[in-house]
Amino acid sequence: MLTALWHNIDYVASVVLFCIGLYVVIAKNNLIKKFLGLNIMETAVFAFIIALGVIEDGQPPIMTGDAHGPFASPLPQTLVLTGIVVAVSTTALALTLIIRVYRRFGTIEADELRELE
Amino acid sequence: MHLWPHWLALIVLTPLVGAALTPVVALIDRRTPTWWALSTMTVTSFAATMLVLRIFHEGPFSYVPGGWTAPYGIELHFDEFSAVVGVICLVGWLAVLFSSRYTDSLPEFARGRTPYYYTLLLLNCGGMIGFTVTGDLFNLFVFMEVLSLSGYALVAVGGERIAEMAAFKYLLMGAISSLLVLFAIGFLYGITGTLNIADVTARLHGFEGPTAPAAVALGMLVVGFATKAAVFPLHVWLPDAHAAAPSPVSAVLSGLVVKVGVIGMIRVYRIYYGSGMFDLTVLNLVLIWLGAISIVMGAFFAVFQDDVKLMLAYSTISNIGYIVMGLGLATTYGVIGASVHIFNHALIKATLFFAVGAIIYRTGYRTLTDLRGVGRAMPLTAVALSVGAISIVGIPPTAGFLCKWYIALGAFQADRPFFGFVLIFGALLIFIYYIRMVNAFYFREPVHAEVAEAKDAPVSMLLPTLVLASLCLIMGILGRVPLTFIEPGVARLLAPLGG
Repeated sequence: MLTALWHNIDYVASVVLFCIGLYVVIAKNNLIKKFLGLNIMETAVFAFIIALGVIEDGQPPIMTGDAHGPFASPLPQTLVLTGIVVAVSTTALALTLIIRVYRRFGTIEADELRELE
Repeated sequence: MHLWPHWLALIVLTPLVGAALTPVVALIDRRTPTWWALSTMTVTSFAATMLVLRIFHEGPFSYVPGGWTAPYGIELHFDEFSAVVGVICLVGWLAVLFSSRYTDSLPEFARGRTPYYYTLLLLNCGGMIGFTVTGDLFNLFVFMEVLSLSGYALVAVGGERIAEMAAFKYLLMGAISSLLVLFAIGFLYGITGTLNIADVTARLHGFEGPTAPAAVALGMLVVGFATKAAVFPLHVWLPDAHAAAPSPVSAVLSGLVVKVGVIGMIRVYRIYYGSGMFDLTVLNLVLIWLGAISIVMGAFFAVFQDDVKLMLAYSTISNIGYIVMGLGLATTYGVIGASVHIFNHALIKATLFFAVGAIIYRTGYRTLTDLRGVGRAMPLTAVALSVGAISIVGIPPTAGFLCKWYIALGAFQADRPFFGFVLIFGALLIFIYYIRMVNAFYFREPVHAEVAEAKDAPVSMLLPTLVLASLCLIMGILGRVPLTFIEPGVARLLAPLGG
């Protein structure tokens, strides 16, 4: 069991990171901190998907004359690039909303906002 | 050149390209964005009609962009469940028409930026269409993000006091559920090495090796899509978001966007039913119970609301409960009823939100107490509202009746009659609210002069409302058509691969 976990330490790390992010989102009171938790979760998922494409002694999958396998999979990296674009737009939108919340209520602490609502 | 084979690509591209160009055409004249958005949706609706006609003739079909065949290329796949693009285009088109006057009542900051409002609305529709027709798991995630992000932004446009907070809450829960889905897609890619949904199903079929990762992926996908669909313990974002959004947006969000979660669940179920890896009885039982709790809780909270839009938002939770319960019953009748309810509830909820939106636009009030007597001042809108309310309760011969009847039949077919009674109980609870509303709108004296003197809604609002209200009746009378149409799709969903 433990050796299996050790062999998949990269996957385990991303799951742990995901849970840390989730904890931050739930436990923190400040809206920006909540959102940083979400960014941590995003990083965890991206790291996980990148790790999927890595193999021992994998070569870059570029077809030159003397190219020989095994090749690392390039697909996860394209996926993560798209994922990063999505994450950036989410971040931009969330920060905009936080600014507007602050202008209206003068605070971004979740418990104070709950009272003001 | 004939476009026959290319409609499937065009239906995804048209709204997305149209959305990107809306701010550009706004440079011509202040009113052009409305016409531009309307014509974009018209082209999209035409494509949707062509696709639905084609599936009637020849059954499910695929489109291979750029000649890269599956599983290497990104496949677009159109099956019976994708036929929901028809209702997405219809409601989207009517929402744009409805917005043409409604945008006048938006707050200052949004009124100067109506082109961007239409951009978001078109992006939202394009994302939903892409989500329903894609045959690729990662593409599914991307389209889900397109429609979710535009949805979060649209909630904040309304200018209600709590709008931005509601949008942020929606964003937080929506983003977590999206990440769960992406994580699960990563799991499935790691196990099978492919992202094509049909290919994943085929490779999981007869998969030898540890099954735990696939089970974890299933759990994350179901939780992720259940959050998007606002199933009971994960529904907390919905009431505020849908009540704070501008009314045409509420119609789109409540009628269509929450259904995306359900369609996602159907896609996931196809993978796991098809592969036959797990016995899904336990998961189905969980879904039935969550559905039942959603039905009763949603209806219960709806009864005690004074704010009309908040009541409609809670009734959405109740109706999602019906769909999820039908899906969990896993019997032919139950799943057929659930699938058709995706379609019919979109019509009904859009009718209700349009009618309420027109009333709010004319009077400026939104609670039952303030709106007393509005039925006499705005007769046509109130009639449409009543038709919608009868449909949502499920009184024959309206659109809501047949699907609820089928889901109840499904409960009996699955030998769980208790849930059939839960369903009827939920409908009765909603009926109480309907009586309260009719009483307030028709039989009470107005408390505000504005309400008593209100004119009926302008044509651009009245037309969408009445079209949808008559469709609620027509779909009730012609109810057999969608039921028989979806049947082969449901049979394919429930059957294991190659058997």
